[in-house]
Amino acid sequence: MKLHGLSVPFRIVEMALRIGWIFVFGAFGLTTLTDGVVTVVAVGGLIIGVLGILAAWQIAYYRRYEYRLTADTFDIDAGVFSRREREIPYGRIQNVAINRNVFQRLFGIAEVRLETAGGNAAEAQLRYVGIDHAYELQDALSDRTGDDPAPQPTAPDTAAEQQRQRPIFEVTPRELAVLGVVSLDYRVLVVIIIGTSAFLPQLGGRLLDSGVFAVPVTVLGLYLLTAILSALYAVTNYYDFTLFQGDRELRYERGLLQRYSGTIPLEKIQVVRVSENVLARAVGYASVLVETAGYSPGESGGTQSAVPIAQRSRVDTLVEDLGFETIDSFTRPPRRARRRYALRYLGATLVLTGVGYGLTLLTTMSYPWFLLLGGVVVAPVAAHLKWRHRGYAVTDNHVITRNGFWRRTTTIVPHHRIQVVFDSQTIFQRRWGIATLTIDTAGSRSLVADDSKAVDIDAETAARLREALFDHCLAAITNRQTDRSTVMEGRPAER
Amino acid sequence: MTDSDAPAESASESSGSAEHSRLEGAESTVDPATLTVAERSLHPRVRYLWSLVALLFGVAVGLVILGLHVLLFSVGRPLLAAGGIGGLVAAVGIVHALLRYRSWEYEVREDALYLERGVLTRVRTVVPLVRMQHVDTARSPVQRVFGLSSVVVYTAGSRGADVTIPGLAVERGEDLQGRLKQLAIAAGGDPAV
Repeated sequence: MKLHGLSVPFRIVEMALRIGWIFVFGAFGLTTLTDGVVTVVAVGGLIIGVLGILAAWQIAYYRRYEYRLTADTFDIDAGVFSRREREIPYGRIQNVAINRNVFQRLFGIAEVRLETAGGNAAEAQLRYVGIDHAYELQDALSDRTGDDPAPQPTAPDTAAEQQRQRPIFEVTPRELAVLGVVSLDYRVLVVIIIGTSAFLPQLGGRLLDSGVFAVPVTVLGLYLLTAILSALYAVTNYYDFTLFQGDRELRYERGLLQRYSGTIPLEKIQVVRVSENVLARAVGYASVLVETAGYSPGESGGTQSAVPIAQRSRVDTLVEDLGFETIDSFTRPPRRARRRYALRYLGATLVLTGVGYGLTLLTTMSYPWFLLLGGVVVAPVAAHLKWRHRGYAVTDNHVITRNGFWRRTTTIVPHHRIQVVFDSQTIFQRRWGIATLTIDTAGSRSLVADDSKAVDIDAETAARLREALFDHCLAAITNRQTDRSTVMEGRPAER
Repeated sequence: MTDSDAPAESASESSGSAEHSRLEGAESTVDPATLTVAERSLHPRVRYLWSLVALLFGVAVGLVILGLHVLLFSVGRPLLAAGGIGGLVAAVGIVHALLRYRSWEYEVREDALYLERGVLTRVRTVVPLVRMQHVDTARSPVQRVFGLSSVVVYTAGSRGADVTIPGLAVERGEDLQGRLKQLAIAAGGDPAV
């Protein structure tokens, strides 16, 4: 099969935009070297020449690009000069994603990406195919994805396929509003700071002039700006978010301007994370992240937002629908861990106050440094909160860990997805007889989420859990293998 | 952890997995129990290797201090400062190397590789052999001088790639690699992802 015919002009424009600087510099160079009519002719010639080369290249690319669905692989033959023939076994495909920006939507074409566990980029990128065909591909591929492929449909019947998938989650306007309010993206803050860094010297001068109150005002301003931009970003990104459940995969659709659609094969889910920042938690909302081993666009790593935000009860229902357990009662770290946090925070407060006082001695600045001592009051509270939001639980099929006050993340790992287990004890932890147990999975780690960890639990418990989880892991794998072999003999649905 | 009931458990399991490997058509029907390695430390020579590295680092620190003295600002007694600080760094490094050697322990069980290591942070790792993707032996130039090698075990885990056993005698490293390979085959594989 070939790409969509429109992909040629699209790719030409895309490429031209990417190398636009050549035009600018080239034209600039030509204007300095020549003058009058010659300039016009030379610049015109340059533009036509470069566009011509681009067009020839893209036409050749299009003509020499071919993909097909075979019995058990997805094949791509591509390349103008150096040819590459790639075969991707269906069983290895992790996600199939469809992206379209505004212009692509206008012309009815889309980009399709296939992800596998290996490598650090999408294994295949079809730029571009017709939108209907993109959905057909997505359905055809997700039918064949998985370790134990379903009997292959003779002809991909898209209408029936779409019917079979029931929407299990649609974001409500209210939830979208909540998402806008609670989504504070620190990356936006970084962008703002970089953006305003040119004015920082002046701003800094103003700040010092206008005294102590300027600091909270600036912080508030930055907060509001970050909040507004984050909200805009989150709302456009997750506008009209719908999650469908098929027999073997989840499919989502989202986006206001740029539309994203992706499939997540249920069999490939490694880890489910439920996370709530302090604001969302206060109003009873949470988000769900689903991790596969693939690498996906739009989200960092193979982490995909299964649900950007929803009421806690809806979140729990969804997580359970996915076959993952949710629980309320966690085993907290021992109380001495809380004492340790308090002491650490107190120590940090004292050091900070000392530094603050030192500054008044060494420089001419004078400010109420003793206010920093207020940390002494905050420290025990902070320690308690940190301790309170930590915990772990081992159930029959899952190990669940929870960490974080500002953004609390609950990580649910099925026993059969455990890769490596280790407990570690720093020199400071040793004095308190506590240790950290880490459960490593094949789920690609995203930037925001950390590994599944039971932090600061009793050292002996950690050692015991390490062995227990290892046993659970082996048992679960053995169970699955027997399940699978019985399924092989007399077929019915695995999950 | 419970040494007493481990053999009983593994005995029953080993018959199962041996059968499994026959089903897989693997040529060997070796009893996994014969492939295990009891808790063992690294080759003692690795102490000299690590100490040498620490010593060289100390020398480098000393040279940097001398360099700073010549190029940027003068230190009161350059040789003493360089020697003293460099020597201190080297001494700490060497003590660390010796402690690191003492902290290292590995064990090949029938179904797992168990590692214990770390001076400041103690880490105890269990790698289920079912999860092993492949196993390497690697020898850096310095290791070759000392006749040592490393065994690296890879899993599909996100940080699994750094399960490394450094400082094994060459034959022992190859032996370990072979054992792990056979045990992994006997354990059967689970499509990890």
